[in-house]
Amino acid sequence: MGSTLLTAQHRQTLVNVVYAAFPHRTFPRGPYERAADAVIDQAGKDPRFLAQLMQGLTDLDAQRDVPFAELDADVAAAVLRGADGTPFLTAIVDSVVVTLYSDPEVWELLGYEGPSFDKGGYLHRGFDDLDWLPDPRIEHEEEMTA
Amino acid sequence: MTRFEYDDSDVVVVVGSGAGGGTVANELCQRGFKTVVLEAGPHLTGEDYHQDEWPAFGQMAWSDPRTTSGSWQVATDFPGLPAWLVKAVGGTTTHWAGACPRFKAHEFAARSTYGDLDGASLLDWPIALSELAPYYDKAEIKMGVTHRHGRPPLPANNNYKVFANGAEKLGYRYYSTGPYATNAEPYDGRPASIQDGFNFQGDKNGSKWSTLVAELPKAEKTGNLDLRPDSHVAQIEHDATGRATGVLYVDRNGTLRRQRAAVVCVAGNSIETPRLLLLSGSAQHPDGLANSSGQVGRNYMRHTTGTVWGQFDKPVKMWRGETMAGVIADESRLDTDRGFVGGYYMETISLGPAFLAKFIAPGRWGEPVTELLDGYRNTAGMWIIGEDMPRADNRVSLSGETVDQHGLPVANVHFDDHPNDVAMRRHGQRQGAAVYNAVGAQKTIETPPYPSTHNLGTCRMSQRPRDGVVDRFGRAHDVPNLFISDGSVFTTGAAANPTLTIVALATRQAEYIATELHKTLT
Repeated sequence: MGSTLLTAQHRQTLVNVVYAAFPHRTFPRGPYERAADAVIDQAGKDPRFLAQLMQGLTDLDAQRDVPFAELDADVAAAVLRGADGTPFLTAIVDSVVVTLYSDPEVWELLGYEGPSFDKGGYLHRGFDDLDWLPDPRIEHEEEMTA
Repeated sequence: MTRFEYDDSDVVVVVGSGAGGGTVANELCQRGFKTVVLEAGPHLTGEDYHQDEWPAFGQMAWSDPRTTSGSWQVATDFPGLPAWLVKAVGGTTTHWAGACPRFKAHEFAARSTYGDLDGASLLDWPIALSELAPYYDKAEIKMGVTHRHGRPPLPANNNYKVFANGAEKLGYRYYSTGPYATNAEPYDGRPASIQDGFNFQGDKNGSKWSTLVAELPKAEKTGNLDLRPDSHVAQIEHDATGRATGVLYVDRNGTLRRQRAAVVCVAGNSIETPRLLLLSGSAQHPDGLANSSGQVGRNYMRHTTGTVWGQFDKPVKMWRGETMAGVIADESRLDTDRGFVGGYYMETISLGPAFLAKFIAPGRWGEPVTELLDGYRNTAGMWIIGEDMPRADNRVSLSGETVDQHGLPVANVHFDDHPNDVAMRRHGQRQGAAVYNAVGAQKTIETPPYPSTHNLGTCRMSQRPRDGVVDRFGRAHDVPNLFISDGSVFTTGAAANPTLTIVALATRQAEYIATELHKTLT
């Protein structure tokens, strides 16, 4: 669970940080919110990270005249680059790169079909359906000698 | 389940249940030896495995602390995770993808073939290919390797179609879907592949050979196997005459146990095996057990690796089907005119979005990463794997300060790339990109090495005791009833994926223990 010290404003900023770090134009906001909430959960178990998170988000909001969440994408990206390598941003990126791309909605958006065992694998579901190249041979005639 | 007494000094103790340990254990059980296998990890089976990359990693990987040093990029990208190995029954055979090339004859004579390279500690193996060939046959038959002994090849999956067409256009001749130790049709009581992917995550279907689904169940049927999961060996003990007498291990309840033994076979992989020997120092063996040569932990090798991704304007869907099922062998040839010695293979590989995002550019974020992920559907992948140079100072040693949950000093893995490794990696990535460009890639991406899955050397086999740790059968030069049964014994690494050779060596070693030493040791 997240800490009561983290405000709605913090969370709002964090969701925008997550988007600025992994900006997919085609993604809705849901996966970013879930990734941000996973960061908040993690901070709830790690006081040091929670402190860094609150300070880092507050700092980002103070970088320009308007809060981070209201910045244009390009400006937000530039502001975030200024925090590259800080423990604050590194911890967020390390968490988000795992949770965002493990999110089934993201898998669907990227075209990834994921677990298949319960559906009998891909044996009858297109493991070899690529048709824009000729079917190649699968064996070579003689073995290499050296 | 058979149980032998802690005080039964007739048993063979095998430390580790992966390719080497699981194989040597089964071969000994089949010959009537009482065998105790101590596995540090839990006993997971097909039902337990996740088809979801991070949960599977969390479940299977050896994630006890380790430390790193040296100039290799892994030390920067993954400082606490030098290797990607499994801590569970079956060891890393539950994670491997199954590629089974044999070593070539000249790769057993690397020092004679390549000469004296600056900064490398090359040495010829004390055995030749001709000596190991019958055991390669046995291993291939045991594992059901495709393309060998009448086993049919795997079919072409989508990733292979891109790879093979590129190879053909580039003029490569030796491309195919194998050899792989995954069933294209039912074999040895295990089903054919259903092309479900997730070989790296344990293979729920059991089509891939592993000691979990093949060697250990067979060993158990003999009644001679006492398999103890969650049992972490802390020390090997010896007597005044210098013979090993057994091991001390921490059981699942945290209790330290002693298991006596007639013979000890260590197969913890090339990081844990030297760590255990170094932890087993005594007045008689002040620098670690079996380390009078000072070679324990040295000459650590990890294969020269890299990954190349090609992105196209049409779908590939590389995740459908076997994770690896394609090999280009042309660059594995003996040809020192390419600016480096040794050869390399190209092998198809697939990662899901979660691992791809993590490994494609570790620590990076922003549009360069998201653009690559946006092209996921249209991405094909290959892994480059080649012979790296052994170096005396590339070594596994005990970490000065970091200890594990049992208070045991952890392994530090030090590695500096040899210039030959760098030249080979560059060549491989260039050729890999050329394969994809030949079939119209819009973009190719090179990924730096992952945490090491091929961990080799560190207790190398040598003719002369001063040059290595074990003899031609993997028996410690210093301790007559101590054997090393894993990839630690590799004198040099060759280009081939190591598992087949580990299994062949372990099969040969078990035969040696049984026939040559039966009378004196039991």
